[in-house]
Amino acid sequence: MADEKSKSISEKMNELNKQVEWFYGDDFSLDQAAEKYEATMKAAKEVKTDLETLKNKIEVIDKEF
Amino acid sequence: MDDLVFSVSGFLDNLNQDLAYAFSGVIIEGEVASYKTSQGKWIFFDLKDDESSVNCFMPVWQLSIPLEDGMKVRVKALPKVTKWGKFSLTVQKIVPVGEGSIKKAYELLKKKLTKEGLFDPAKKRPLPENLVRIGVISSTGAAGYADFCKIINHRWGGLEIQVCHTQVQGMAAPEQMIRALNYLNEKGEVQIIAMIRGGGSADDLSCFNDEALVRAIASSKIPVITGIGHEVDETLADLAADIRASTPSNCAEMLTLDKSAEIRRINSQTEGLSRRIYAAIVDVANELQLKRDGLRRILSEKIEATNRVLQSKISTANSVMKKSVSELQAKTDRDLAQLKHFIAERLNHELAKIENTLKIIESMNPELVLRQGYAIIAGEIDIGKTLKITTMKKYFEAEVKKIEERNKDGR
Repeated sequence: MADEKSKSISEKMNELNKQVEWFYGDDFSLDQAAEKYEATMKAAKEVKTDLETLKNKIEVIDKEF
Repeated sequence: MDDLVFSVSGFLDNLNQDLAYAFSGVIIEGEVASYKTSQGKWIFFDLKDDESSVNCFMPVWQLSIPLEDGMKVRVKALPKVTKWGKFSLTVQKIVPVGEGSIKKAYELLKKKLTKEGLFDPAKKRPLPENLVRIGVISSTGAAGYADFCKIINHRWGGLEIQVCHTQVQGMAAPEQMIRALNYLNEKGEVQIIAMIRGGGSADDLSCFNDEALVRAIASSKIPVITGIGHEVDETLADLAADIRASTPSNCAEMLTLDKSAEIRRINSQTEGLSRRIYAAIVDVANELQLKRDGLRRILSEKIEATNRVLQSKISTANSVMKKSVSELQAKTDRDLAQLKHFIAERLNHELAKIENTLKIIESMNPELVLRQGYAIIAGEIDIGKTLKITTMKKYFEAEVKKIEERNKDGR
């Protein structure tokens, strides 16, 4: 499993979506809601930061085709 | 030059060398005539215009478009004079030109490749998930490529894009793009290959109808997305690709999400979480209220039922008690009556006895004796003593003068 830093935005977003889905799924419980809420908000903040700051790396292959 | 003498073969060799030097990769445009194949391996046709004609030859495997007489084509060829002195063009590449021929070649090849199943929708692969590495085949100087980069950089970040710069029009384009496809497939680093080119004429885009290129796209191990020309343009490369975007910009849009929209979505999602938790709390509170109401109702019913049972038992007890008291009362009444009767009898009996006694006593009353004419004598009976004598009407005293004993018969 990729560590947090090496995860792509898409992977982080998928995880965030899963975290959000928990709140609307059968496993939802108020007992865990506060903890899950905090973790989800943290993940959301991280994804938004990535979306706002990460740039694409475009490399033109040095080769004649 | 005057002294130089060639053999026939030597002359033809020199001539062919000169021709190759002077016309290497010459491109000639004309109309196909007398098209025929030999032994399934060789193709022969004449390339002609209104005034002239030249023989053409090529191996079947090099033919990248279906040919028919009357089609206008452009050939890349090597001019050559055969050992029999016949001039011909050894064709290396052939492409249709002109709208009619391009359309004809397109339709023929489409029909053929469709029959082979190259465009089968069941073979299409979806966009890979978690897209991070993208391969691009395009001309880096083309407007379409610039549009692609602009859109993709605006929409998303964190992508690694490997670009293979190739021609995207002209006779060399298909081979270059095939080599780029093979390169990216062999390297195996990218998750999808985007083949992009901006708009152009039918001639410009005809390289994307090249059979070898179409086959290379269809057999690519890595999914291919095309963004070629404009919305209305359809090439065989588009049909062979796993995903078709209508333009390079659309290709960039299909490969990425819009980060602004995603940020808005995330904000909306996270805002929704508070509402979700609040709603859950309300649900639980409502549920508790319902349970409490239910419990209250059950308790109330139980209490009521118990009350009813108690009431019934009390009522029964009262009834029993009343009956017992009533019976006791009756018994007591009976006993009392018996007692009264007994007492009354006893009393009467005693009264009768008393009455008898009284009668006896009455009969012994001295007054009664006195009224019968008798007298009561009191005092010491002794000679000379005085005796007090009482009669019914008088009282007097007498002196004892004589005392005699009476006989048994009272005389």
